[in-house]
Amino acid sequence: MKKILLVDDEEGIQMLYREELEDDGYEVISAYTGEEGLQKFKDESPDLVILDIQMPGMNGIETLRQMKMHNPDLPVILSTAYGEYKQDLGAWASDEYVVKSSDISELKKAIRKHLL
Amino acid sequence: MPELRKDPVLGRWIIIATERGKRPSDFVISEPETTGGFCPLCPGNENTTPNEVLVYGRESGYPNTPGWKVRVVPNKYPALVIEGDLNREGEGLYDKMNGIGAHEVIIESPRHDDVFSELPPEHMMLVFKAFKNRINDLEHDDRFRYVLVFKNYGKAAGASLEHSHSQLVALPILPRKIESELAGALTYYNYKERCVYCDIISQELKQDVRVVCKNKFFITITPFAPRTPFEMWILPIQHSSAYHEQSDEQLLALSEIFSESLCRLDACIPRVPYNFVLHTQPLRSQHMNHFHWHFEIVPKLTSIAGFEWGSGFYINPMPPEEAASYLRESLERIL
Repeated sequence: MKKILLVDDEEGIQMLYREELEDDGYEVISAYTGEEGLQKFKDESPDLVILDIQMPGMNGIETLRQMKMHNPDLPVILSTAYGEYKQDLGAWASDEYVVKSSDISELKKAIRKHLL
Repeated sequence: MPELRKDPVLGRWIIIATERGKRPSDFVISEPETTGGFCPLCPGNENTTPNEVLVYGRESGYPNTPGWKVRVVPNKYPALVIEGDLNREGEGLYDKMNGIGAHEVIIESPRHDDVFSELPPEHMMLVFKAFKNRINDLEHDDRFRYVLVFKNYGKAAGASLEHSHSQLVALPILPRKIESELAGALTYYNYKERCVYCDIISQELKQDVRVVCKNKFFITITPFAPRTPFEMWILPIQHSSAYHEQSDEQLLALSEIFSESLCRLDACIPRVPYNFVLHTQPLRSQHMNHFHWHFEIVPKLTSIAGFEWGSGFYINPMPPEEAASYLRESLERIL
């Protein structure tokens, strides 16, 4: 079973994504801050990361750059409510940039693309 | 007493707040925040960027591999997209079209910690050559009317990654600011039958109070009505409206004066964040007698608040004559 690390400070997003992704047969582990996400990235060896950007403490782009420093080949999908972070070149370290929506089909498509 | 000054091209007024007179040391620049970590622009990470559209310095090997000096790639997550038609349409009195454009990033050096102003002129010239080459190429796409070339240096000026880079955006419309500049220059030309920028250069050379430095082909001045302290314009001394017609010899001279101007600025206020923007003629224009291409370098030293947004006036606490004097003396103080 493929393991997805979900880093997002919003409980509602954690619940929605967990339910949908577990239904699709993935194991989901949660982190609520960038720091916690980075630690679980190192400890839990996920197959893919879904990463929010706007979080308290270390933001998603800083977390992304630290994760990619550790393992550049592990796919990371930025998932954010804000399109404007596309202008941050640090976001280029990610493998996908998905704007959050109640319909998570785009996110699921991106996950399938990288977990084939 | 404060002074109101009018820009001779745009007609824009600014306020020189002389009683707030400041010295360079009064401008405090916090140390750049470096987040560190993985850098998508560094050699070895070419697979994290879209495929390069232009490269200098790689003499052998495959595209998108290390060995380059300057590399141009499309923006991975562009604000405007390259594929598609404009589909201009109206919605009542409102106009709109598809968000078509080319957004590219010029990676100025393979070394992560290089600073643009400290690049050797021969290397910096490759960056200016890349601007020219990309403008020439994008000119063939008749959806585009203008290529805006710019650089953000420092977080306060909008740079999101510390690895030295500049950007260009090919647009299907002429930016309003450039349109106003062209119109102002044309009005002056129709009245006097001379290029306003040529007249500015001639007057600045005569008065010699706002000249920062010059070489065989270029001059750097602090403009008469600057928006911010230490604003500088770099202009070709001989009239030319098209940046992309410059020869290699001219681009090398441009690199030398750019490097000198930025080093002088850095000597006054170390690591000051700034933006520079290339102002050149629209794509596919014939030679323009009334317009004169140039770079504008705008340090990020003042903030834009309600008064500036509401009035369009900028309040500048340093007269450009004083700024030019500090800039002229800056390197001499260090040497």
